[in-house]
Amino acid sequence: MEFIKPGTYIDFMKYRGPVAGVLAVLATLSLVSLFYPGPNYGIDFAGGTEVQLAFTGDTTSAEIRSALEGAGYSRPDVIRVEGQPNEYIIRVSEVSSLPEEQAERIRAAATAALGEEVLQELRISPGGDKITIRASAEIHEQQLREALEAAGARVRSVNPLAGSRIPRYEAHLVGVADELIAQLRARFGERAPESALRVEWVGPKAGEQLRDAAIQSLLYAIAFIMLYVAFRFDLRFAPGGVIAMLHDALITLGIYVLLQKEVNLTTVAALLTIMGYSINDTIVVFDRIRENMVRVRDKSLRELINISTSQTLSRTIITSGTTILSVSAFFFLGTGAIQDIAFALGIGILIGTMSSIFVAAPITELMDRRLFSRARS
Amino acid sequence: MDRGWYFRLVIVIGAAVLGFLALWPSLDRWLPCPDIVKETFDNQINPGLDIKGGLRLMYEVEVNEYIRDRRDRLAEQVQRQCGVLIGVIPEEEVDDIDKATLEEIRERCKVERVDKDGGAVRAIRITFSTQEDAEKLTKTWVRDYFRDLRVASGVGDLVVDLHMREEQLSNMRETAVRQSERTITNRIDNLGVLEPTVIARPNEGDIIIEVPGAQESSFERIKSIISRTAQLQFQIVDDESDSRGAFTDPPEGIYLNADSQTYAEAFGEDASDRLRSYIATLSVPDDHELVIGRQDPDPERGGEGWRTYYLHRVAEVTGEDLDDAAVGFDPQSGSPEVDFTMNTRGASRMADLTGRSIGKRMAIVLDDRVESAPVIQGQIGARGRITLGAYLDRSELLQEAKDLVVVLQAGALPAPLRPANEQLIGPTLGQDSVRKGAAAALWGIVLVLVFMAVYYQTAGLVADVMVLLNLLLLLGTMSGIGATLTLPGVAAIALTVGMAVDANVLITERIREELRLGKSPRSAVEQGFSRAYSSVLDSQLTTAIAGIVLWQFGTGPIKGFATMLLIGIATSLFTGTFCSKVLFDWIVRGLRVQRLRVG
Repeated sequence: MEFIKPGTYIDFMKYRGPVAGVLAVLATLSLVSLFYPGPNYGIDFAGGTEVQLAFTGDTTSAEIRSALEGAGYSRPDVIRVEGQPNEYIIRVSEVSSLPEEQAERIRAAATAALGEEVLQELRISPGGDKITIRASAEIHEQQLREALEAAGARVRSVNPLAGSRIPRYEAHLVGVADELIAQLRARFGERAPESALRVEWVGPKAGEQLRDAAIQSLLYAIAFIMLYVAFRFDLRFAPGGVIAMLHDALITLGIYVLLQKEVNLTTVAALLTIMGYSINDTIVVFDRIRENMVRVRDKSLRELINISTSQTLSRTIITSGTTILSVSAFFFLGTGAIQDIAFALGIGILIGTMSSIFVAAPITELMDRRLFSRARS
Repeated sequence: MDRGWYFRLVIVIGAAVLGFLALWPSLDRWLPCPDIVKETFDNQINPGLDIKGGLRLMYEVEVNEYIRDRRDRLAEQVQRQCGVLIGVIPEEEVDDIDKATLEEIRERCKVERVDKDGGAVRAIRITFSTQEDAEKLTKTWVRDYFRDLRVASGVGDLVVDLHMREEQLSNMRETAVRQSERTITNRIDNLGVLEPTVIARPNEGDIIIEVPGAQESSFERIKSIISRTAQLQFQIVDDESDSRGAFTDPPEGIYLNADSQTYAEAFGEDASDRLRSYIATLSVPDDHELVIGRQDPDPERGGEGWRTYYLHRVAEVTGEDLDDAAVGFDPQSGSPEVDFTMNTRGASRMADLTGRSIGKRMAIVLDDRVESAPVIQGQIGARGRITLGAYLDRSELLQEAKDLVVVLQAGALPAPLRPANEQLIGPTLGQDSVRKGAAAALWGIVLVLVFMAVYYQTAGLVADVMVLLNLLLLLGTMSGIGATLTLPGVAAIALTVGMAVDANVLITERIREELRLGKSPRSAVEQGFSRAYSSVLDSQLTTAIAGIVLWQFGTGPIKGFATMLLIGIATSLFTGTFCSKVLFDWIVRGLRVQRLRVG
């Protein structure tokens, strides 16, 4: 069986203008999409609300997950607590953070009600579900509650904090957790608990450290790949490969963002895989060009690119074909996060294959004209 | 077939057998694994948090300890800067004051650490001996030299209190939690491919860690590695001063030893705790401290032995200046120890300290415990070692040495951690999702195998054998290093299979081209391989470069990803080029096929 007949010659470079144009538009759109509408960061990057619940009737994490997804929460984490029957930790990316102006209003109201002398410190948790107050004297809990409610906060309870020499109070606000429990009760009825064992705001898994490390390693990877390509091939090839690689990651991310799919740590792994695939694919085409440059002396680089791309076309199609084959199994058979990663990989492989031909090779030709035209004339 | 071919065949079969043996402990549930294999390959594939669940730990960062520590360092600086203020030393010499001058400064203005409101307020108190000196201190002076401090009372008085600024306190809380997170992540990364989740919550002052797996024993080890402060200090033992007066009323079970030096000792159960609580009641001069350390067991009193050391408080060299640490062995006894190297700053400080302390003893203090206190024989530079004492058996000592290396390399925690909560948690993904993911992986691989066989025929079957061998080696390596497998990881493996056929595709396409030119199967295989090598090698090496960089600079999940990528590249290079050549050679030379069917 042969998909591409031997001796096939396609003038790829003729189409590079329109195709590169389309890809450039896609890349620009992707870049814009990063700012508007902006990525839909999942709990890995944005943090969220964590609720621990003890169900009164038997249930499974799958049942809870599907109930929550039905209620509109995207990709909730549902974790069973071992050793405690029907106790679950639920993490959702929703937070009930208060807008800045409301936070200011609450601060002002509390200061007015308690007096500047008494109110030492007022902290609102980033999850917007808890207000911690440090006072220099004991205060009336009801007074604090009324002050907060006057400022528009939906207060559930105000409690003094035990075990502290300085009077401290904690006000719990109605937030994501209460809504979540109400929705669970609507679906589970009596089996769902009336209140949570614990509600907490959780920070992102992927904090600054991971972000810094990721950016740093990406920059180093680009530098080393360019060095390697410049050394093994020559300088003309280096920018094309790296630009194609970044282009593929950018467009995949862009499509992800435009579809408002959740961006999480798995997405990052998918993007890294796509970049690896992209540079791999590009190098194979480059390798043929390099080989033909030695073997075929009387052709222009443009023709050499066409010949080499045509010669490797069969391999390009088979390799991306098999890879897409294995990824599509995950897309059609998998669920949730797995489906998302398969989707990203599928798009990335398609774009990566195109970009080797229509981005990497034309840039190499461009570099050739810029770097060598003066030498030739 | 020539001898070279048989030699290559042995390598291929050897690799396959090794791969299987390494994987076997992970398959124990389905295919009982003999103990001898389990002992040789003591790791297995670790199912990730999403597939199997694990242990959820919550630690509170003892932020107040961090703040006290910062305050203590500031107090030291304030003392020195006071020397400039009252005109004892010029500004340039503030970092280089000798002991006598420091005493002189202390006579005229004494700097003390004061805790108010039960430790809620950390303050620094300056007591001037003359009004003339006292009037030199102004608010501007404090602001100019110490941005973290503010004057709380009595400018111009003989006694001035400085407090830490409120806004600095919340910054410090944040720093303490963030630094702890960083250190914990590094430590767990040093342990291998574990893929834990580490979440820091600076506002609450705590850190949540979720470790995948289910083995009780490995949890214990991880817990001890996470919560160890790993504060390493080198302090000189003061054997000259008379510390006899410090040891007042020793309770029952604590003995005073009063030969050449005075120290207290205790033996048997809880000896270290009893001794520690006893010395907490004693008062020693501000520039000294009492620290406990192990000592030879006493046959009469029984059990393990502990004693006190009387140390100069100032640690001129600390673990901050550590460059690297490794497990080493004592040349004489062969017992495990930890060898370390200092960075340039640490080495010059160490040389300076040991150079002027020859004949004295240097205590190596780790987390408020003297590990050893050898007599300084000569000047020591960048290298040193920590002996662990001979009180544990050899395998325990080795484990202790390994763990110590992990924590020393990752650096000290900025503040102690207090375990707040501990729960075993189930998987984040339902059984259903895991089953579907596994089915998808199986289907993905089968589809690729079938396609290759149909499209490339004989060459496709060779590729299929290589894909399966690749899978075996990949999983075997993962099992051998105890890598964590998450569901996205399963997808990545299936993708690796898709990508690993690339080498086979490249080679087969080349063989096709050569056959079309009318070459014999044998020479087509030779030519095809030799021409495809550069493509295969260049494309895989470029990806490997990215993998190495990610592994070097990445943390947590990025590092895990890079490890898998690198293993995948190595196994697919091996199977795609080396192993497939052995099989092809057998087909064209052993079977002497007239026509090689490549589709």
